[in-house]
Amino acid sequence: MLTTVLEPFAYAYMTKAIGISVLVGITCACLSAYITLKGWSLMGDALAHAIVPGVALAYTIGLPYVAGAFLSGGLAAISMQIVKTKTKLREDAIIGLVFTAFFALGLLLASINPMAVDIQAIILGNSLTIPDSEALQIAGIAGITLLIIGLKWKDFTSVFFDLNHAKSIGLPTTALQVVFFTLLSATTVAALHTVGACLVIAMLVTPGATAYLITHRFRHLLMLSMGLGGLTSGLGVYVSYFINTHPGGLVVLMQTGLFLLVFGLTRLLKRPCLIG
Amino acid sequence: MTPRIHLDAVGVTYPNGHMAIDCISATLTGGHICGLIGMNGSGKSTLFKCMMGFLTPTTGHVTINGGAVAQALKHNQVAYVPQADDIDWDFPIIVDDVVMMGRYAHMGPLRIPSAQDRAIVTEALDRVGMTAYRDRQIGALSGGQKKRVFVARALAQGAPIILLDEPFTGVDTTTESTLIDLFQTLRQSGHLIVVSTHNLGSIPAFCDTVMLINQRLLAYGETTETFTRANLEKAFGGMLRHHQIAPTTIHRDSDQRSVTVLTDDERAVVFYGDDDNWDLVETPNSD
Repeated sequence: MLTTVLEPFAYAYMTKAIGISVLVGITCACLSAYITLKGWSLMGDALAHAIVPGVALAYTIGLPYVAGAFLSGGLAAISMQIVKTKTKLREDAIIGLVFTAFFALGLLLASINPMAVDIQAIILGNSLTIPDSEALQIAGIAGITLLIIGLKWKDFTSVFFDLNHAKSIGLPTTALQVVFFTLLSATTVAALHTVGACLVIAMLVTPGATAYLITHRFRHLLMLSMGLGGLTSGLGVYVSYFINTHPGGLVVLMQTGLFLLVFGLTRLLKRPCLIG
Repeated sequence: MTPRIHLDAVGVTYPNGHMAIDCISATLTGGHICGLIGMNGSGKSTLFKCMMGFLTPTTGHVTINGGAVAQALKHNQVAYVPQADDIDWDFPIIVDDVVMMGRYAHMGPLRIPSAQDRAIVTEALDRVGMTAYRDRQIGALSGGQKKRVFVARALAQGAPIILLDEPFTGVDTTTESTLIDLFQTLRQSGHLIVVSTHNLGSIPAFCDTVMLINQRLLAYGETTETFTRANLEKAFGGMLRHHQIAPTTIHRDSDQRSVTVLTDDERAVVFYGDDDNWDLVETPNSD
């Protein structure tokens, strides 16, 4: 029995996959606590699709994929800003327009040079096949993100809650927002390899949304969200070993399952929030 | 040092060409409550944003305590109480945490509150009568309680200048009188308080000076001299509800004095007299 339970850990690739998945899960969940409050949920999705051509190009010419991701993510953000200032289109239309165009370009690039890019790995992700060099990049991004949010979470909360007040007490609000978006982009890139471009959005929304239904104290919400994100991400990869399924899909389904459970409890207790 | 806001020919023209305010000059000094009065779209909010440094005037400039606005903010000289509309009431935050945010500028980079910070937060909550609600999520409060939380945050911040944007909109009369009492205590201790309000009826009771604007500065001075029927009519044009009760309706003799009631749906202001000689009538505060 015990040997069966511990069996996945006998394989180095499984141990690494579970470790990376937990780290990415915690980091995404940490950011999700913030972005679900601000109506920025779709930004993560958009970002994840927009970086695909950059990643494809980076593979083709042999650059680190993080560099390509940042380049095309940045280009997409700039294009969006241009369309936004020069037309009267609504923001959701602009996001839909620009980021799908980038995603299509990514598909095209990958099909032109199919040997260089495992487009499947970018779109669907697979935490079981992460090379060591990339595992290191992912761990670095996650570590830096968690460190910065860990140290400055109160300042970020202040900016997200009441921007004007944050300005009025002299916080560097623009710098904090730029830092947050940079961390969000970097984390999205890191999550590509574990769950893929399509499911990143779930990792960046669901844990925060679930925690929102449990507590109305932001400090608790942040910790709960990270706990839920880390737990489901580890468990998803672990279980996928036994039932031989795609780990990303399982992670996201577990997160959705938890959300439904909590949602059901709030309906049962007839209160908007489980605690308090 | 006495807090002081100096407006020097302040004007703001938005990028679309709309001129929100033009050439407003005035000096406000501490130990005093100033009511900023004007109809919607008169540039009240724009002027407020300039004082808070959220907007840089396109002409002229604002100085606070002799220095630039940004400098004053850095030194925690100005506290701001936002309009209810500007706050996300579903945000997962409790009253205590909101008021504690007022102390952030006094804390280290990790914003770990000291015993003194906690004591100041408790005192601020006490002063607005909200101690019993300190563990409530902010959305679970009434309109008046919500407003008091944000006033407590401004108190906790300990700034000598407090700007309040429409503090009486949507609040109950208990809150209104609690706040007015509090403003008067703060004035005594040397604070400079600027209140933008529609609530004309309460102004004579607590504002030392009034500033009436409609893009330009229409009048600024002592409430007793400036808060006049003529000035209010100038500031609001036809936008105020205006009821005049004719002399013959209220007098049996030849007394020519009439009653004028001006209101924009909040507490009304009532004048009694003839065109040259009139008095403000104290109106009871009741809902």
